Amino acid sequence: MRGISLPRTISIRHEAEAMSNNHRNRLIRPETLTALGIVAVATAFLVPTASLKPISALLPAAMLVGLIILSVALLIDDQRKATAGEEPKPMTSAPKRVLGAFGLILGYALAVDFIGFYVSTAIAVPLVAYAFGYRNPLGLAIATAIVLGAIFMIFDFGMSQDFPAGRLWEN
Amino acid sequence: MYSDLLHALPNVVAFANFAALVIGVLAGIVVGAMPGLSATMAISVLVPFTFGLDPLVALGLMAGIYNGAMYGGAIPAVLLRIPGTPAAVATTFDGYPMAQKGEGGFALQVAVVSSSIGGIASAFALMLLAPPLSKVTLLFGPSEVFWVAVFGLCSIIFLLGGNPVKGLISACFGVFVSVVGSDPIFGTDRYTFGQLELLDGIHIVILLVGLYALPPVIDLLETPLKTDTSNSDKLGTEPIWRTLPRMLRFWKTWLRSAAIGIWIGILPGAGGSMAAFMSYNEARRTSKTPNTWGNGEPEGIAASETANNADTASALIPALTLGIPGTAVAAVMLGGLLVHGLQPGPMLFRDNPDIVFGFMWQFLFGAILLVFLGGSLATNSFAKLLKLPRPLLGSVIIVLMLIGVYSIHGPMFDVYLMLGFGAVGYLMDKLKFPLPPVVLGLILGSFAEENLRLALRIGRGDWSVLFANTTSQILVLMTVAVIVGPIIKRRYFNKSANGPDEKA
Repeated sequence: MRGISLPRTISIRHEAEAMSNNHRNRLIRPETLTALGIVAVATAFLVPTASLKPISALLPAAMLVGLIILSVALLIDDQRKATAGEEPKPMTSAPKRVLGAFGLILGYALAVDFIGFYVSTAIAVPLVAYAFGYRNPLGLAIATAIVLGAIFMIFDFGMSQDFPAGRLWEN
Repeated sequence: MYSDLLHALPNVVAFANFAALVIGVLAGIVVGAMPGLSATMAISVLVPFTFGLDPLVALGLMAGIYNGAMYGGAIPAVLLRIPGTPAAVATTFDGYPMAQKGEGGFALQVAVVSSSIGGIASAFALMLLAPPLSKVTLLFGPSEVFWVAVFGLCSIIFLLGGNPVKGLISACFGVFVSVVGSDPIFGTDRYTFGQLELLDGIHIVILLVGLYALPPVIDLLETPLKTDTSNSDKLGTEPIWRTLPRMLRFWKTWLRSAAIGIWIGILPGAGGSMAAFMSYNEARRTSKTPNTWGNGEPEGIAASETANNADTASALIPALTLGIPGTAVAAVMLGGLLVHGLQPGPMLFRDNPDIVFGFMWQFLFGAILLVFLGGSLATNSFAKLLKLPRPLLGSVIIVLMLIGVYSIHGPMFDVYLMLGFGAVGYLMDKLKFPLPPVVLGLILGSFAEENLRLALRIGRGDWSVLFANTTSQILVLMTVAVIVGPIIKRRYFNKSANGPDEKA
């Protein structure tokens, strides 16, 4: 009796794990996550419409309600696909490179804000190119010099455009 | 009606305006020749730099880039079988086999002549059709303008193909972005969260650069594309006038493809890719030697390149007269017009005839310039651009994006906002949410709201004022047709497709 029940317990546990994984997988599908994200953000944005005059709130409220309804429709559609066993398409073939690219761009923007435009650009141009596969030191140096020189001549000198000097040096 | 067109001509040939056009065409060919960069992206990055320029100089740059990029896309399509722009996919079918046979130079010459012919035809269509249409739209009141905006949004959502739910989500997002800032009538703040930078609303350039420039840059960095540029080293350098007689047999294809391109350009939601594919299929269908197609038939290049350039200026017919862009590039160009205080729509023709008609001439001259600037020797030089390292290109574009957005108002807040839109744009792009409805939503959202509220004020709060006259009713019917038409078509096609299976 015991000998028979053991494999069954294992099998039930496996099924339970598979169901749990399946359930988790269903929720981490990109479209499902996007739909849930839109619903959450749109609902949060609906709150301030209550303090607006009805005619001022009309269009934003209509759009936000529209976004919620459409996202629910998107969610249902994606979950139907999950039920039918359709695998979601991967959003990127190289997630680390994408995150790295976003990180470097955000880092560059923050650096411009805090340490100034020219210093940040002189670091960012070769750094981004190097990090993503262009490793020729001479090419990097020439490209950085051309970019910085051209920006200075065209924007700073020619168009009197002021660039951020950096918050760190402001005081 | 057409006298304004002639009056605008002297301005266009002024040195600065013409020089801008030449620079635009050259820059467009360069951008188009780089796989991963598109005319939409180039114009998005360019728009903020045109703030201080004279409107005709700025528009000349944009018209030149648009024309140049549509041809430039053919260079990697022929030499690498990688379309430089999405509209050049059909060019790869016969262009690459020709390059492999050592006829890459001739293939590119067919492409440049055909692109030029398509562009010229499209510019003439814009010149002939836009002025009378603008006369009609001048009669529109607030309720009609409101329905035009609704029609524009619906047409781009439902005619774009793909998932209409995603199209609607994109449009709702765009319209929502348009309401951020002060209320146009009462002046109350909406979603500014105490940020002074948001009081005037979100500038269209911030959205354009974020949505259209950042995702391609991420793609450039994401995919380390290694290309075999051996074909670009063995291009023929025969002068174009010597090869021209060999192309004259394509005249029927040029005419047919130009007509297809113009028609597709006018239709909101369609674009250069669709025009090129339709034209290629039609030319192959009518060819006496369809078996040679796909193995290096120059007529195939003529068909696709004529059509994808013929949809450039024609896409601006609904954009300039009604404020409804036919393609994504036209949507970005509307943003460019707004930057210079030119509100697309009927009033544009009445208030700024020199600029709007000058813009039309610039499209014509841009198309003609293609032959001179993209000819044989120049094409050899452009082909060398394919060797530029993508990571370096990506890092330079990032710097240009930052400068462009920062130069609008000054604060870094705009840059962070642009990065936020960029992240949203990247996700939308990967999840196949269409981007043009977002831009159109931002442009038409505030426009629709203002006119809706104006109409309701005129009607003293009575909503039936929106349906009170025949023009409004026609526009409502057109909107319904645009929504229902694709649904019926899809059902009909599904039934036809399922028919044989059901019988079986």
